[in-house]
Amino acid sequence: MTIATPINLTLLSLVGVLLYWHFRPKQPTTLPRAPAPIVFRTYTPKTLIEFNGENDRPVFLAVRGRVFDVSPGRHFYGPGGPYENFAGRDASRGLAHQSFDEDMLTKDLSAPLDTLEDLDADPLENLQSWEERFNEKYLVVGKLVAEGDPEAPAS
Amino acid sequence: MADQSPILARLDAALTDALADWNIYTTLFAGILVAFAFYAVVSNKDPDVHPFLLARQSTASPIRQSGESATYRSLETPYGLPLRQGLNVKDVGAPKWTAGRRGDLRDVWKSAVRGALNENGISTGKQGKIYTVLGKKSIEHSLDQVTQEINVIGGHIQKSEVKTVAVCLTDSIELLAAIFAGSFYGFKVVLVPHNLPAETLSGHLQNAKADALIAEAGSLDLSFVTKGNKQLSLVIWVAKDGNRHMDWHEVPEDVKGGLEVAVWHELVQEGKDLAGFNVPKYDPTTPAPEVSTVWPSESPSGEFIDFKQENLVAAIGALGSTLPRNQRFSPSDLVFSIDSLSRSYPLCQILNALFSNASIALNSVAGENVDFALATNGVSPTVIVASSRTMSEYHEGVMKPHTGLVSSFGRWVQSRTLNAGNMPPKGFFRQLAQIGPTAELSLQKLRLLCISHRVDADASVRLSSEQLTDLRIYTGARILYALTGPGIAGAIAQTNVFDYRCLGGPSHFGGPLSSTEVTLTGVSESQVAGDSLPEGQIMVTGPAVVDGKTTLSARARISADHTLELSS
Repeated sequence: MTIATPINLTLLSLVGVLLYWHFRPKQPTTLPRAPAPIVFRTYTPKTLIEFNGENDRPVFLAVRGRVFDVSPGRHFYGPGGPYENFAGRDASRGLAHQSFDEDMLTKDLSAPLDTLEDLDADPLENLQSWEERFNEKYLVVGKLVAEGDPEAPAS
Repeated sequence: MADQSPILARLDAALTDALADWNIYTTLFAGILVAFAFYAVVSNKDPDVHPFLLARQSTASPIRQSGESATYRSLETPYGLPLRQGLNVKDVGAPKWTAGRRGDLRDVWKSAVRGALNENGISTGKQGKIYTVLGKKSIEHSLDQVTQEINVIGGHIQKSEVKTVAVCLTDSIELLAAIFAGSFYGFKVVLVPHNLPAETLSGHLQNAKADALIAEAGSLDLSFVTKGNKQLSLVIWVAKDGNRHMDWHEVPEDVKGGLEVAVWHELVQEGKDLAGFNVPKYDPTTPAPEVSTVWPSESPSGEFIDFKQENLVAAIGALGSTLPRNQRFSPSDLVFSIDSLSRSYPLCQILNALFSNASIALNSVAGENVDFALATNGVSPTVIVASSRTMSEYHEGVMKPHTGLVSSFGRWVQSRTLNAGNMPPKGFFRQLAQIGPTAELSLQKLRLLCISHRVDADASVRLSSEQLTDLRIYTGARILYALTGPGIAGAIAQTNVFDYRCLGGPSHFGGPLSSTEVTLTGVSESQVAGDSLPEGQIMVTGPAVVDGKTTLSARARISADHTLELSS
């Protein structure tokens, strides 16, 4: 009677494998790194216009100095959408008047920001509700200042 | 022609040959194999918490400021949701669907006295108890008795028209009563650590503009203190059992007339019949005054931290809700603090215990640096609140040297269970592991160890994850390891109670509590742009933070599992 028969050796190695499998050091579970956070930036009308959604760039629009990333709503705010005029622009006046026309925008990108001082209570309330909606749905990724503002990043 | 026989026939022949060699050893090996396979299947258990919850322990904001890391928050209150504001107190008779109030310390005491609630929210009237531990024995007090003291002392101080009361006591029911009396009777309480030199104490009283002092009889020279504190108009001595027969009414010559000296137990004796056992009525909409503590800092005088009631209740609420339901403090718990109540983490945990109707135990020797074995001698708690210094010194001084071969084997078996994500069950291997290291302890019921680490404490008392594993195995308790900082009630961050991973090196501090959010500032942009982990100064914001925001000088890292780690 000998230990070193083929069947014994097979069983022994099976025990060995099972032991290793059970006692092998296990690494704790890891998850892939989360996507890097977006850096909050200060935009001017001239830098904001880059983000109009063309060529797969993100879609940004500004409301009362806050820049929202509305890329998830690209179908509305991006190229070809009903609100496409707002992409990359200060949309405050347009949203307040519930009008998506070109003439609601400040044409001259170097001009000071629209102060909206001439607006009545009704459009302001309308704007307020738009802003709340944006706040719920979209991220604020920056703020908008006029060209030449001391806060504006040097280009 | 054997070579051409069908393959099955050849296989059959080989098997017959092999089986022909079957002997006693073969039976033995086959037996081992089957037994082990059976054991592996039976002993396999689901981990206490899903591994993904440990792999990412806090949520990061999707946006960050330049030069800062993202803002990290507890998984309970992710980005976009409000942080925990308070205790969510539901008043009796309030409509069911209304949100609870933030509450304040008065609600903590009220719910402690009201007793535990059953599932339907109806009070069962079962109150927790308060024990004071004196050496090897513990004395039981009822909450009603403490309510009475709150009423007597609070009423007396209110009558004296005092606004700020400095309390310089060891952990005791008098200290607790003084804190609650402040909230009910409208005076600010300043918790001054005991055992301070007279000059420091005098300086504290000046800084706090305290016009009353509650201190242990005979613990300090009153004439010295009154010299620098002309504003002081009332002193209440707390006399221990042994020296109550003495006359403590002596007033220093130079302040005679302006200073009233009273003795706690005499006031209670006199006012007992009038005060009654009822919690004083209060209007929850009126704010309760602040509670101040002293944060030990480089300068001998330390730094005063004025906690608003909102800060404290946010921290108490967060400490309670951060534990999974089956781990929360319950009426069957006895929570024992061996860390001083003048520090905000132990204070908030004890208040959390009272709010959860658990029993509590206080020890007069409690502090940052106590002998763990001696301090826990007189009582068998289910939860212990201690400092990292206490635990680290106990581990270095007692546990490690007493770990022999047998204990090490027991530890090895149990640490495997821990790594698999399960708390090892009570049993043979635990006893084996505990033979040496915890021989002198009598902590049969211990289930949770809450350890707090001061952000500016000596790096040598920071616990490593190896040490935490040791503590889990040798005490048989789960561990909460919290990071505390000046100006933050409760803690900044605290480990997940089910996080048993041993990652090597100094332990991390888990994710932020739901009452705080953590951002690292002064982060170099090149570092963030690359793949490395953000490292910078800890900025803490949220309702548990005095004035809403503070930046600590300590630097920290957010690891890949989104836990906070101090950089060395």
